[in-house]
Amino acid sequence: MNGVPQASLVMTMGADRLGCFYPILQQGFGVPARVPCTVKELLCDQFGMDAGYVAERITTIFLNGKATDNIDKAVAGNGALLALSAAMPGLVGATMRRGGYYAAMRSAITLGEQDTTGSSSDGTVRVKLFNLLLPELGPEFLGRGILLTSAEAIEFFRDQEQDFWSGCARATLDDTLVAPKALKNGETFAGTAAVGLTVLFRKKG
Amino acid sequence: MDKIARIDMGAAGGPKVTMEEVGEYVGLGGRALTSLLIAKEVHPLCHALGAENKLVFAPGMLSGTAGAMTGRLSVGCKSPLTGTIKESNAGGQAAQVLARLGYAAIILEGKPASDDLYKIHVNKDGIQISVDNSLKLLDNYPLVDKLRKEYGDKVAYITIGTAGERKLLAASIACTDPELRPTRHCGRGGVGAVMGAKGVKAIILDDAGMKMRPPKEPEKYRDANRKFVEGLRKHPVTGEGLPAYGTNVLTNVLNEAGGYPTYNFKTGQFATSAKLSGEAQAELEIKRGGTATHGCHRGCVIQCSGIYNDKDGHYLTKQPEYETVWSHGGHCGIDDLDTVARLDFMDDNIGVDTIEMGVTIGVAMDAGIIEFGDKEGAIRLMEEVGKGTPLGRVLGCGAAVTGKVYGVERVPVVKDQALPAYDPRAIQGIGVTYATTTMGADHTAGYAIATNILKVGGDVDPLKTEGQVELSRNLQIATAAIDSTGMCLFIAFAIMDQPETFQALLDMLGAFYGITMTGDDVVALGKKVLSAERDFNARAGFTKQHDRLPRFFYTEPIAPHNQTFMMKDEELDEVFNW
Repeated sequence: MNGVPQASLVMTMGADRLGCFYPILQQGFGVPARVPCTVKELLCDQFGMDAGYVAERITTIFLNGKATDNIDKAVAGNGALLALSAAMPGLVGATMRRGGYYAAMRSAITLGEQDTTGSSSDGTVRVKLFNLLLPELGPEFLGRGILLTSAEAIEFFRDQEQDFWSGCARATLDDTLVAPKALKNGETFAGTAAVGLTVLFRKKG
Repeated sequence: MDKIARIDMGAAGGPKVTMEEVGEYVGLGGRALTSLLIAKEVHPLCHALGAENKLVFAPGMLSGTAGAMTGRLSVGCKSPLTGTIKESNAGGQAAQVLARLGYAAIILEGKPASDDLYKIHVNKDGIQISVDNSLKLLDNYPLVDKLRKEYGDKVAYITIGTAGERKLLAASIACTDPELRPTRHCGRGGVGAVMGAKGVKAIILDDAGMKMRPPKEPEKYRDANRKFVEGLRKHPVTGEGLPAYGTNVLTNVLNEAGGYPTYNFKTGQFATSAKLSGEAQAELEIKRGGTATHGCHRGCVIQCSGIYNDKDGHYLTKQPEYETVWSHGGHCGIDDLDTVARLDFMDDNIGVDTIEMGVTIGVAMDAGIIEFGDKEGAIRLMEEVGKGTPLGRVLGCGAAVTGKVYGVERVPVVKDQALPAYDPRAIQGIGVTYATTTMGADHTAGYAIATNILKVGGDVDPLKTEGQVELSRNLQIATAAIDSTGMCLFIAFAIMDQPETFQALLDMLGAFYGITMTGDDVVALGKKVLSAERDFNARAGFTKQHDRLPRFFYTEPIAPHNQTFMMKDEELDEVFNW
């Protein structure tokens, strides 16, 4: 999404509306990054996650659809798709776990070790957040800003109900105040290829 | 649990109850009891719906105690769906109540000569059996509503819907939950058809006047249970993930892994799976005034279920589980949770296995009966099953029968039982279990992910591909053992990761029975159960050639990883060599 017209949308929402954003957080969103880099560098150095949190909490990782065991050896390039999950139940949950005891059971879809050398440049990775990581990492990513295609943004805002709009305290589009409900109209994003969405959550009271 | 009740439904003059000591089955429960008894007493070549088959209801070893998570009820018989031995288990209240009434098992034997329909009332005074033809052709929800007017709300009900009465091969046996809804099902293998063949519509369990089963060492038992509960609550899966999202939390992950069978196992990803995810489901449930956190029986601390309301906030069904959302959802190309919830209610009401029915509808879609993604069409097909039309009876007999009737080549079954929600081409280790389990394709047959703690079969290098046979073997042994305790299989994560929680489980068993229980004892029990089941199946005519996946898994690569099932036959044949 680099080098194309991009709208910048900043919204201020009540903290209890975080769940409204779960669909796009699950389906995936763009994040600017310096790539290629290892998954560990991406999570810890670029996204600012604590290494302990990554080790203990993000126990299931898929890079481009492949189960990833060693994040020091997994390389994310431009356009890479990174899905992050907490521990999952059941045998399959255990099977998908990073470096888990049952990893052999999904060896056919396991990411092999990759070459970690090479110079990096500006690019974008696509991130998906699942389950317990939605409330834990969602506000952080939304606060820093995520990238959506205009089609994704139009579909997302079109599907929102009154509850969502009543929780929106303020919205600016390219630094200009915009009536939140105007976003429901897809024409707001006409002519843009991408929307940079930043959401600031504020607690009640 | 010191007695067994045998009810001869075919006795001259009407059903006859015989009480006996628990005898050689002392200290056993759940699957251990049902499988050892069926293997010993049922002729393996009998017709599963005939008088020679037996239907065994057995609570777990710790059911009826104050222990947490001890509420699984096992039902065993020869399966009319697979022709193999069968153990199918469910939550709900029945196991706890049956155990408090002192029964290690209730066994239905014989077959009534007439087409009368019976109900069986069990309380502290004994067992009363009566004809009640007013229950005929009632589905589970109206059936329980009718029974409640007679027996009240302080009992547990075990029932069959119309599918069981019609002896359809996908028929389930329902157990009521704490709110007396018939939502917890012994689903797999057509056990409901066997209950229907015995002429029994309902079993009413009333434990008024009975007390909790007392442990031999109460203090030790209480202490071990406390540690066990602490372990469950502190683990991220049993203490956070399952309570928040239920088992459907797996949808996103399986889809991302490319192991989410879609359009009748044609591809491994569903473009709109996020609409079906546990995360979306939980949001919707809460928004509509339901709940995403609910226990299927009293004493459950994981609470992986929920209440799914309709758009108007009225109860529609319990929270559909992952396998149900998959079978009626992605497998059929349907991405609407409300449709899935409605189908889940119909499954529970008619009394059929949600996995078998969802897979069957997908096979019917492949046959061209309706299109993939046809929401209303899927509901219409379920209505056919409920009405017992000729088409409904074909569908209600499962995926294998439907595939044969309509000439479908891609029929995802092993031993005629439908595969669950994990594609074995992406997750090959699960394919080993699907192929070789004694039960027909069953994800829970190798589910007890605690083999590293149990050290079943010694140390295995899990990072070697050839370790998959060993892993599957060990998982199946561990699962057979846990299925015998009456414990919910979801405890497995906590006991895998936290040795002290596994020790607490062993201490609970030990303190209750006044013995010292070790991991080796648990492994020995699992092997004993599996050996008996394998022996029954061999005598029923099953050979190693039956321990295979359908050919299309070997010949059709699945996207996005373009994998086929690669395990060799010789490797599969090694699973039960211990």
